[in-house]
Amino acid sequence: MGKMSQTVPPILSVLPSRALVDEKFVVVVENLPPGSPVTLHSLHHSEENDFWEAFGHYISDHKGTVCVAEDLSFGGTYTGKEPMGLLWSMRPVPGSRKGLRLRKRDVCSPMLVKVSVYSGHVAEGFTEQAPLASVLIERWYMAPGVQRIDIREKGVRGTLFIPTGPGPFPGLLDMWGGAGGLVEYRSALLASRGYVSFVLEYFAPGEQRSADVELNLFETGFGFLKDHPQVIPDKVGIFGLSLGSTVTMYLAAESTVIKPRCCVCVSGSHGYARGGPLRGVFELMFKNSHMIRVDENNYHIWREMGLGLTSDLSKKVDVGKINCPMLLVNGEDDQNWPTVECAEDIARMMQAAGKEHLLTRVQYPNTGHLIEPPYSPHFRATMFIMHDAKQKFIMLWGGQTKPHSDAQEDAWRKILSFLQHNLYCSPTLKAKM
Amino acid sequence: MVRAHISLTTIRQLIDMKMLPCISLHRNLACLHPAVGGVRWKSSYRQAPLLTAAPVRALIDEQISIKARFLPPCCPVTVCAQMHSEDGDLWEAFAHYNTNADGTVNLTSDQSVGGSYLGREPMGLFWGLQPAPGSREGLRLRKKNVETPYTVLLSLLEGHVSPSERQSTELAAIFTERCYMAPGVRRIEIRQDGVVGTLFLPPGPGPFPAMMDLWGMGGGLPEYRSSLFASRGYASLALAYIGHKELPGPQNTLNVGDSYFQAAFHLLQGHQQVCADRVGIIGLSFGAYLTLRLATQTGVKPSCLICINGPVGSVIKLPDVDGSSGLFDSEKKYWRYDDQGHASFREVSLPANIAPENKVKLEHLPCPLMYILGEDDLSTSSIENANLIEETLRAAGKSQLLTRLSYPGAGHLIEPPYAPNSRASMWSVKPEKLITLWGGHLAPHAAAQEDAWKKILDFMESHLRL
Repeated sequence: MGKMSQTVPPILSVLPSRALVDEKFVVVVENLPPGSPVTLHSLHHSEENDFWEAFGHYISDHKGTVCVAEDLSFGGTYTGKEPMGLLWSMRPVPGSRKGLRLRKRDVCSPMLVKVSVYSGHVAEGFTEQAPLASVLIERWYMAPGVQRIDIREKGVRGTLFIPTGPGPFPGLLDMWGGAGGLVEYRSALLASRGYVSFVLEYFAPGEQRSADVELNLFETGFGFLKDHPQVIPDKVGIFGLSLGSTVTMYLAAESTVIKPRCCVCVSGSHGYARGGPLRGVFELMFKNSHMIRVDENNYHIWREMGLGLTSDLSKKVDVGKINCPMLLVNGEDDQNWPTVECAEDIARMMQAAGKEHLLTRVQYPNTGHLIEPPYSPHFRATMFIMHDAKQKFIMLWGGQTKPHSDAQEDAWRKILSFLQHNLYCSPTLKAKM
Repeated sequence: MVRAHISLTTIRQLIDMKMLPCISLHRNLACLHPAVGGVRWKSSYRQAPLLTAAPVRALIDEQISIKARFLPPCCPVTVCAQMHSEDGDLWEAFAHYNTNADGTVNLTSDQSVGGSYLGREPMGLFWGLQPAPGSREGLRLRKKNVETPYTVLLSLLEGHVSPSERQSTELAAIFTERCYMAPGVRRIEIRQDGVVGTLFLPPGPGPFPAMMDLWGMGGGLPEYRSSLFASRGYASLALAYIGHKELPGPQNTLNVGDSYFQAAFHLLQGHQQVCADRVGIIGLSFGAYLTLRLATQTGVKPSCLICINGPVGSVIKLPDVDGSSGLFDSEKKYWRYDDQGHASFREVSLPANIAPENKVKLEHLPCPLMYILGEDDLSTSSIENANLIEETLRAAGKSQLLTRLSYPGAGHLIEPPYAPNSRASMWSVKPEKLITLWGGHLAPHAAAQEDAWKKILDFMESHLRL
């Protein structure tokens, strides 16, 4: 390289080079020899010091150009016409630890991805050869000016994200799943899309069975958000994932204190021993723990534990009492919980109560449990910690990468549209400005 | 609330409060009882308008798409941009729109009916930025530190107002970042072989085609064009030659000669990440003269040249080995003043005022040349010089090398797009304050910058890459 070969290398461009994580980009390579096979490759060095990569095999046209948004990939971690394949098909590089999951912890800094183009159709050994060209791109969870505030007061723990502007804004209470801890990236992204978003920490990782979490913790969290001077008090919704969805449905149905304007429940079930504390959900599950299966890799499949729940009324949230629009998003290949079966039962119960007009159910084929913001890599199985870190195993979440990624992209659009419709005024409403 | 006599300091403080992330302020608000102040609306009919920009972080030469939604239909609104320069001055722009029947405003398609610009101007809020009322005189917006972005606050106000009036309700606001360097671009200070400059390299293994980047008699080391070239895939060396403390001799004189510029060109050409046979030169103003001078010397073989608003000759002689140097101020007899005492340097570069032996031998032009001129250039006689270049090349049978771009209404400072033009700015403060005229009217100059930049990049692509 260097002075020896004076030919100009191909030019690789990824536009925009800085974007929010749910924005698309356009990857173009120019100045290649015509009809030449090349590999487009993406590489990310995670905060946990693991490497993730994706790649696609392309052929340049008569002008020597490859345009990822229009051309087809003929091999690699994705095939076909996939403008964003270099992101959603990422997986840990060969030789990595098992059961990895990619989740950004520090949302104030961007995710850096190096996109390169290699000569020929390469499938391995990317670090050993020099690419023809490479660029660095930034993927951000936070728009400029979005504020991140640690909240440790009035009995609530979590992180608050506030959009820029005078406000006030609609609000969202953001609740994660059974792994516990504080995962901020979805809230940061929702704030970047115009919602004051409060992600509530309701138990620390490993504390599942010991945490003494009562419903009034969530009511307090919701109240904190509603009373915040930057929040429009009657435009606060709840967004839940997995266990967080269960809590969401319970709050919407049973709480006499709070009235969410709308709810989004991703991969959730309505199994909840009425009147009991949250850990009752886990206790209920573990009564059925003999029903945990393992697959040929020894990954845990928890699905079956939830199947018996739908028959016993006292073990379900009385969803017929829900009075706000609700969007359920589920994957048909969810191996962690029978969320599609739950959704069907929820629909039955709500119909019986005359509330079916409030419910929108969206379910995606070959999609697993972890339905994340778009273009996030798919995790079919990852490491999971239970019982104060005494138990560690790999949990099977399900889903096949390509359909699961399509579901993430489609679901996010539907979720944002649902939230906008319910939490931002539609222009037909008479309003005084 | 009486707003009529809000002082400038208070306005600045209010803007500063909004501009800087006020984490502590909001924390305090969060702890207060809900009934505080007039901050809260309880009605569910309260509009929550949404202002978006995509992408919200972009390179300075990228267009962004600004939209407002969830507004009442057919209502007057003002979209406003505000930013602080690195020197702390406030720059503002605003435009008046009427919302569509669906309650939206889309700056990419809708028409401004008043303010800093009129008509359909997707980027008008950026190139229309002007110093806020009460600012110091003679300001020019130039990024010194290219590693950080400009943060521009875009806001949506009720009604057709002027932002300085501060009387309107703010409906929504967002921050956008305007960057001069793409991620992965490397900035390298060059202090080698006597050469003072900054090299920008694109990310990737290279090697890359390259540009040598020359500015005018204002001196210093402007990096913002080079950092953008590197963001577009070209290695680029911004070169200082006057008015820089690391150059020899007094700062107000030209103390470097041909050997300096040749050394810089060879340094760039010889860099291991540069394709030696694909190096071009770009120059603005006096830098354009230096570009032509360097290109017509032996031992230097650029692949292409871009000259913006520059003369073919100089009344200043470049110092040769003896060290004799020239002073720009000695040409004061050609300066013309307008009624405000602002100086136009235009006639200094009239071909008639330059002796033939001080003109570049254009017959020896070795490569394609793009000459860009603003027809309202008040600093250099660009039109006359362009004509001379054209005639000389025609006589030498080299017309095919010349591409001439002429922009009506544009001034001297044709720079990367979507930044505001200064029609005049401070030239010197000692021995007395002097403001010089650059020319150019805001809207046509902005159009010229946008078009010229595209053509510059295409020209570089054809001659340095393909």
